[in-house]
Amino acid sequence: MKLITAVVKPFRLDEVKDALKSAGVAGITVTEVQGFGRQAGHTEVYRGTEYQVDFVPKARIELVVDDDDVANLVSVITEAAKTGKIGDGKIWVTSVDSLLRIRTGEQGPDAV
Amino acid sequence: MSLTSTRQHLLENTALQGMAFSDRWAGEVDGWLTKTFETATAGVSPEGLALVAVGGYGRGDLAPGSDLDLLLLHRAKNAPAEVAEKIWYPIWDEGLKLGHSVRTTAEALDLAADDLDTATSLLTARHLAGDSELTDELVQAAVEQWRKRSKRCLTMLRNGVAARQARFGEVAYLLEPDLKEGRGGLRDIHALRWAQMARPVLDAADPEALAAAERVLFDARVELHRATGRNNDRLNLQDQDAVAAALGTDADGLMADIAHAARTVAWIADETWDRVGAATGNGSSLLGWRSRSRAPGLVVKGGQVSLEPSADPATHPELVLHAANLAARKQARIARSSLDRLAARAPGPGGPDGTGPWTDDTRRGFVDLLATGHDAISVIESLDHVGIWERYLPEWSGVRNKPQRNVYHRFTVDRHLLETSANAAALVDTVDRPDLLLLGALLHDIGKGRPGDHTEVGMDLVAGIGPRLGFDDDDTAILVDMVRHHLLLPDVATRRDLTDEATIALVAAQVGDRTRLGLLAALTEADSLATGPAAWGSWKAELVRELVRRTDHYLAGGDLAALPTREFPDERQRDLLAAGQVQVSGVDDVLEVVAPDRPGLFARVAGVLALHGLDVLTADAAAVDAMAIEQIKVTSRFGSMWGWERVERDVLAALENRLAIESRLAERISTYGSAGARPGLPPATIRYDDAASKAATVVELSAPDRIGLLYRVLRAFNEMDVDVQLAKIQTLGDVVVDSFYVTHLDGSLVTDPVVRAELERALLHAVS
Repeated sequence: MKLITAVVKPFRLDEVKDALKSAGVAGITVTEVQGFGRQAGHTEVYRGTEYQVDFVPKARIELVVDDDDVANLVSVITEAAKTGKIGDGKIWVTSVDSLLRIRTGEQGPDAV
Repeated sequence: MSLTSTRQHLLENTALQGMAFSDRWAGEVDGWLTKTFETATAGVSPEGLALVAVGGYGRGDLAPGSDLDLLLLHRAKNAPAEVAEKIWYPIWDEGLKLGHSVRTTAEALDLAADDLDTATSLLTARHLAGDSELTDELVQAAVEQWRKRSKRCLTMLRNGVAARQARFGEVAYLLEPDLKEGRGGLRDIHALRWAQMARPVLDAADPEALAAAERVLFDARVELHRATGRNNDRLNLQDQDAVAAALGTDADGLMADIAHAARTVAWIADETWDRVGAATGNGSSLLGWRSRSRAPGLVVKGGQVSLEPSADPATHPELVLHAANLAARKQARIARSSLDRLAARAPGPGGPDGTGPWTDDTRRGFVDLLATGHDAISVIESLDHVGIWERYLPEWSGVRNKPQRNVYHRFTVDRHLLETSANAAALVDTVDRPDLLLLGALLHDIGKGRPGDHTEVGMDLVAGIGPRLGFDDDDTAILVDMVRHHLLLPDVATRRDLTDEATIALVAAQVGDRTRLGLLAALTEADSLATGPAAWGSWKAELVRELVRRTDHYLAGGDLAALPTREFPDERQRDLLAAGQVQVSGVDDVLEVVAPDRPGLFARVAGVLALHGLDVLTADAAAVDAMAIEQIKVTSRFGSMWGWERVERDVLAALENRLAIESRLAERISTYGSAGARPGLPPATIRYDDAASKAATVVELSAPDRIGLLYRVLRAFNEMDVDVQLAKIQTLGDVVVDSFYVTHLDGSLVTDPVVRAELERALLHAVS
């Protein structure tokens, strides 16, 4: 089982959600976060001072999936979230040691 | 060709060093950006658009890890978003670090009016591509705005410099200097040049001196980036060898060169900012006063000590020390012109022909200067800068800028000596002879930096310096003894049993009398405080104090047995031993273990302590009948509080053979990494000290510090059936010195040479 975490532009969130549903994902978790990358949060036409680093609002999506689905879902998210401009975000994948569905007690891949 | 691969290519060309690299690299980037700009503006009128390099890149300083600082300047009201994107994206896609902005001239000037960083970045703006007239307009306007507000700008700069220096420390003296941000580093040079653009503030010879220093620092910075592959400006110990090799020198030479360059920059900076402060009315506002009786020929005004125009150093050589003393006492600088006059006209201290011994007045003046404490340091630095100090102490050239490249020492040798003397100034009330204390402190390491044992060399030098300064034979002998024994007290205090009369007798015999003892006690404290953070603490201070107390008592003819001594085991502990139960308890910083006596008991406990990140300071062991007791004083590297419950629990498990100490230690070592990879650590040594005690053999072991070292060493003792009764551990940065009072299991001394050799083998293996 793997955890896919994606940080994307907030206004792309609906696209990503719809695309994931179409791909058969049953559930996701979303949080509002802030962040910056190499561009220090500055837009292309930034006119402020050089040494200031700004936070930009983003949306973080997390979902636990089967190992086999990782590659496909990563590209689904990428396509839905991408605008081609700076600030599109990043996706990373980590391993999940164990998973449990609270209501039923199912564990492991059954709980995905 | 990709810009990053160009950079990689240039990096691999190791003949391209320092500024040469920067010039080539900046040239490549300029060309690439010009082409990119052309592509970005294809089909768009390039008028009213300019790509400008600002900040460091504008200057042409591009170290491998440096950012590109770019400004897209436009005349029209609307920002040229499309053009901007076509320039920035390729740079981001190359993976290069970019500081970018898009502004009109007016916007840039507005921002510069309030933000110091923006204002200074524009001062070095350089046209890259597009409308060069537009760029010229900006640069001219920016410089003029800077000049018009020179007073405000200079004040802001000055405050910024002070804040930055306080944060980043010195470049000249520190073991691991920050070449860019530290005091005497690259930013200081930039700040001085920006100041000069506001108003001429530098002396005529300064720009050249700054340029020379900049070459040294910038070369080192480029090679540092090259060696580490990162944009790190702090020259760490482990990188110094690589950087030095790349520049064709050795690490000591490199650090000495850097120290010299940084010192020059710091000197010029101090002078300049002082002048600026006085001119802008922000300097230390000392009302000018003139006091003929206290300091004839000298004036204090505007935070500076100056020679009166009529004063002639040639006929009044005492002016040198008078000026220095006055400056130190008033926390002022000696005016540059006066320093130059003193340097040019004052003869050396050795009388009219310069070779005789010092007069009493000269010596007194010199000692008085040292007695002002830390305020004397910058004054002495000034005197050294113009060559006056060396007339008083020619031997100083051996220690100037000498690095001490290990984690134990913070400072270069010369700075260490000045700091020791300054610390000693606070202790003059504790000794009979303040003059000997201060001079002994100043000279105690004067032998470093020359071939041979630094103590021996130092003693020889001081034997010559004493008479030159006008001291009689007795006083010179004391000074020489101070050099000879300057490490005696801390070493004995931390490595020997202070309750053993043999220890005290030995120290007393070496020290000789109570005057010397007092001087050495003060010197020990001053020296340790000036060494580094690990060199002094309440534990060590307590031990030294105890040693001094006992030795003083002994030298006064007192009976050591009359002194209160900590009995081990005491009554409570003997009761525990008699009770025959296993008992493990930790209170404050002492762990007490009572358990059936068996080989390996101490080793196990030491192993558990290592697992919990606790370092042993001292340990006592004793056995009565079949029960043994260990009393261990510990300290932690990870803070002053720790929980004893988990330690006690693990000790109990270890005693019952339920703890896999070996494998857990290995795990811990791999988690914390092996610090034993540090370069230049001395090899492990073993020494037997047969004079230290009558009841036990003292084995002194010096080795690079490692997790679990004590555990392995104790296991080695076990293997040889050697019993450890007392252990004292002294950690000197990366190296530990462990002293063990040992006997055979039957209590006899370990004297057989064959056994000793085998024991040495086992111990050296344990520490490797």
